[in-house]
Parts: sequence; C-alpha cells; structure tokens
Amino acid sequence: MKTMGIKFCGGCNPLIERSEVANELKSILPEGFTFDSDDPSRRWDIGILICGCPTACADRPEHRSLAAAWILVSGPMVDRHSVSVENIARSIVDKLEAMAQTE
Amino acid sequence: MPLKTAAQYEESLRGLNLKVYLLGERVSNPVDHPIIRPSMNSVKMTYALAEDPQYEDLMTAKSHLTGNKVNRFCHLHRNTDDLVKKVKMQRLLGQKTGACFQRCVGMDAINAVDSVTFEMDQKLGTGYYERFRKFLLMMQEQDLTVDGAMTDTKGDRGLPPCKQQDPDMYVRVVEKKSDGIVVRGAKAHQTGALNSHWILVMPTITMTKDDADYAVCFAAPADAEGIYYIYGRQSCDTRKLEKSEIDVGNAGFGGHEALMVFEDVFVPWENVFMCGEYDFSGALVERFAGYHRQSYGGCKVGVGDVLIGAAALAADYNGAARASHIKDKLIEMIHLNETLYACGIACSAEGHETASGTYLINLLLANVCKQNVTRFPYEIARLAEDIAGGLMVTMASEKDLRHPEIGKTVEKYFRGVSAVPTEHRMRILRLIENITLGTAAVGYRTESMHGAGSPQAQRIMISRQGNLDRKKGLAKALAGIK
Repeated sequence: MKTMGIKFCGGCNPLIERSEVANELKSILPEGFTFDSDDPSRRWDIGILICGCPTACADRPEHRSLAAAWILVSGPMVDRHSVSVENIARSIVDKLEAMAQTE
Repeated sequence: MPLKTAAQYEESLRGLNLKVYLLGERVSNPVDHPIIRPSMNSVKMTYALAEDPQYEDLMTAKSHLTGNKVNRFCHLHRNTDDLVKKVKMQRLLGQKTGACFQRCVGMDAINAVDSVTFEMDQKLGTGYYERFRKFLLMMQEQDLTVDGAMTDTKGDRGLPPCKQQDPDMYVRVVEKKSDGIVVRGAKAHQTGALNSHWILVMPTITMTKDDADYAVCFAAPADAEGIYYIYGRQSCDTRKLEKSEIDVGNAGFGGHEALMVFEDVFVPWENVFMCGEYDFSGALVERFAGYHRQSYGGCKVGVGDVLIGAAALAADYNGAARASHIKDKLIEMIHLNETLYACGIACSAEGHETASGTYLINLLLANVCKQNVTRFPYEIARLAEDIAGGLMVTMASEKDLRHPEIGKTVEKYFRGVSAVPTEHRMRILRLIENITLGTAAVGYRTESMHGAGSPQAQRIMISRQGNLDRKKGLAKALAGIK
C-alpha cells in the first residue's frame, strides 16, 4: 500500500477549486493507495501538491521533502501539462496507476 | 568560443552578405552606414557588457546544454531568477544605450519556440524539439544575435491569411521538398534585422486548418538567398548624415526596424520547427508575446531612466530645479517608470516551469506590464517635454553654434544658468528631443504602443486570464448571496 499526502498552496488567487480536486481524487483513488494522515512525521510515498495557479509558489524544497515522489497540480495543469479542470483528478489517478505499473 | 567580444561581433557582421535598401539605394556596407551604425552599436553593447565583470552576473548565464558561460540573450530561462535577471539586464542596457538594443526578440523567440516544440513533439510525435536544440546550441556556441521575426504585413486585417487577395500577406510555405521547404512573404517592423546573424521566423496569429500553410516556424541565416531588407525611416534620421554630434541627441546609439522580405527562400528541414501544425501556432504567439511584453518592463524602464535624468539636468540647466512643480513632475516620472519595472519583475517572479523545463512568465502580469507600457512612457515623455521647455524644438543647430559669426549669439542667448555651458544645455535638450520625438522615439513611444502587440491584444489576454468568475464568487460570499 502506497501512502499519500496532499499539500496545498496558500490559495491567494486560484484558478481552480483546490478542495474539489482533493475531494474528487479521494473519491476515485485506485486500490493500492491510501491517504495517510495519522503520522505527519512519516514521509509519504507520493505527495500531491495542489497549487491554485501555474506559479505554484508552494513548490518548494521543504514541501518536496515530505514525500518520495510528487504529482504537481498548478492551476489547470498536472505536472506542467495542460488538463481541463474537470479532468485534473482523473489525470492524477492516471499518473498513480502509471507509477504502480512501472514498479 | 561561447562569448564573442564586441569587436568580434562587429567583425562577424561584416562577413554577412545582406541585401539592404535604404532611402531608395542598395547599401553595400550596413555596418558603417551613418544611419544604421548607431543601431549596431546598441547590439554591440550586449556583447561589451557581457565581457565586463561588473555586469556579467546579469549579462551571462550558464548554459543548461553545455555548462558553458553564454550571453543571457542566448539562454533559456531555467528558473524565475533567470526571468528576473532578464528584466534587470534589459533595464541596464536601456540605461547604457538610451535606445532599443534589439537583441531581446531573439531571446524571447528561442524561449517560446523551445517549450512549444517540446509540447508539439509530445502530442504529435514530430521531431522539431531536437532540431531546435541543435539550432540553439549553435546560437549559444557562436554567441549569435538572432532576430525573432513574428509580425506579418497582414494586408486586410478583417481577413484570415488564406482569404487575403494577395496570399503573400502572411509568410507561408509555397513548396515542400524532400530536403526542405520554400517560403514566401514578408515580416514587418523587424527590429535589429540588419544586426542579426540569423532569423527565427514564427507565425503571427493563431492559425486554423485553412491557414495551415501559414503555420510555419523556421530559422534561416540573415543573408540567405532570397532574403532582402527595406530599412524603415525614423523621425529626424537624416540628421545622422549631417555629421553633427549634438543635433542627433544620441550620437552613439539607436535602434532600427526593417521590412524583411522572403522571396522564395529555401529552408532545409533541419531548420524547420513547425510546418502546418496550426493547433500550436496560438501557443507560440501567446508565449513569444508574453515574453516580449515582459521585456518592455525592463528595456523601456532603462530608457526612461535616461529620459528622467535628462529632464532633471534640463531643469538644472534652466535654473528651474528648485521649483516645487518641477520636483513633483520628476517624482511622477520616477513613479511611473518604477511601476513599469514593478510589473516586469512581478511577472518574472511569478513565472513557472513548462513541460520542457524552460520557465514562462506569468502571462496575466506580463500583459498588465505591457498595457502600462502603452501609456506610461507617453506621460513620462510629456513631462520631460514640459520640464525641458520649448527650446527643445526651436533651438539652433550645432553648425550655428560652431559658426564663426553667429556662434557667439547662439552661445549668448541659448545659455541658461551661467555655470553651465550653452553646449551642455543644447546637448541635453537634443537628447530629450531624440527620445521623445526623434529617432529613439520609435522605440520609446510608438514601439511602446504597438511593439509586442497593440493595446487591445493585451486587453484580450487580460480578459482571458483575469479570473473574473472567481472575483464574482468572492463578492457573493461576502454579500451573503448563495
């Protein structure tokens, strides 16, 4: 089971509803992944960094150190590729499944 | 040799075989032509400052391709610090030249073409990115000046490229061969074209399927067979033929634009970076324009620094510096100029990485930056003219000042405060004239209006990127509207 965590940017001027992305992701999370909120000191296997706009100001080393691997949402982009807003969560799931297959 | 010296740059231009027309005549030696040479000096400054340890932190960067030190004008932005340094470099060069130094268009073009070709290849399986990287490597290793050529002549603005009565109103592919393409058309307003080694051509608008032949991006040597240039006139340009140093205002530096004509130019496939992929033309236009709108938050500010300094000197020389309204006008000029700079820095600091690894500015803030540039330099120029006084445009010539008989009269009646020589006053007033309505006004005023896109182009982008629905949501939440 891969542990996951979500980190948000501060949300000053978001182009997307960040909480909606997080909630949808939780609702369609594939098997083999779980959100780990019990022990914040433990490093996640995968972090989802949800930033409201392409600037992605929360993409900083101190956040990156919280997980072994990251998927970056920055406004209507996932890992710097444009995605329609309604498909952001789905795109994250696709990436998680691709990660699982490569292991 | 990743860095050329200034002298090597000038010498390299002499090796080009450019076909140039100016004032109805073919120019055999553009480098030494008195009308053209000041613009060459401005580009040369981009090489000279890169050699100087005082400026190398801004003027140079480490190539991510080779690890070599390269001129920043040949560099792809690897982080937001690079974007910020770009703007600072441009301000510095504006200060050193008081004119358009021309090399930004190539820098903005390579950064736009890099990320778009990468994304094009990822989606379509084309091979443009690697071709472009080879071109970029050559540009960096030879420290080339590249002219980013976007603006087509456009013909009837109400019609798309394919519907124009004359199909050459936009640069297009007229033939595809096994070894390359043949292109025809012309690019207008080409800044620094005669001071460039290569040209990087991009489409000027978002193309549709019917305009696929116009969705073309390629590089060509500036002196390739079939390319020729018709030099653009500037206000007061023939003063440069009079051998007067004072009357031209800025004898050392200038800018230039030219019509660049492609008369069935052959481009080998290795230098083609888009050919018919119309879906990506919009992204290329948007990114190049965004980078170039950022640029104006640096270069115009540097020229503004010169103009503000000149206006303050004019006030000193006129004996008006202590007047409170003069002080207030100088404060207003500084406020406007630094507001331009603030937007240039802001859109850089808020930049982000693209899929290729190259950083893009915050497009909303870059468009806000340029929208301010369409206005503030005009107000700064107006205030400079206000402070300078009418003598700026009614003053006698340098020849009159040097004249054995009337020279004493010019000296006597054009003097301001007694401690300042009349010649100094004439020089500073001519510099203000040069920037506000002489040759440099092309760059400081009308280019501020239309360069990198006319004001309405920015307003369209601001509308697209302004996130108005969220603002409505914020208002509804506070007003208690469910």
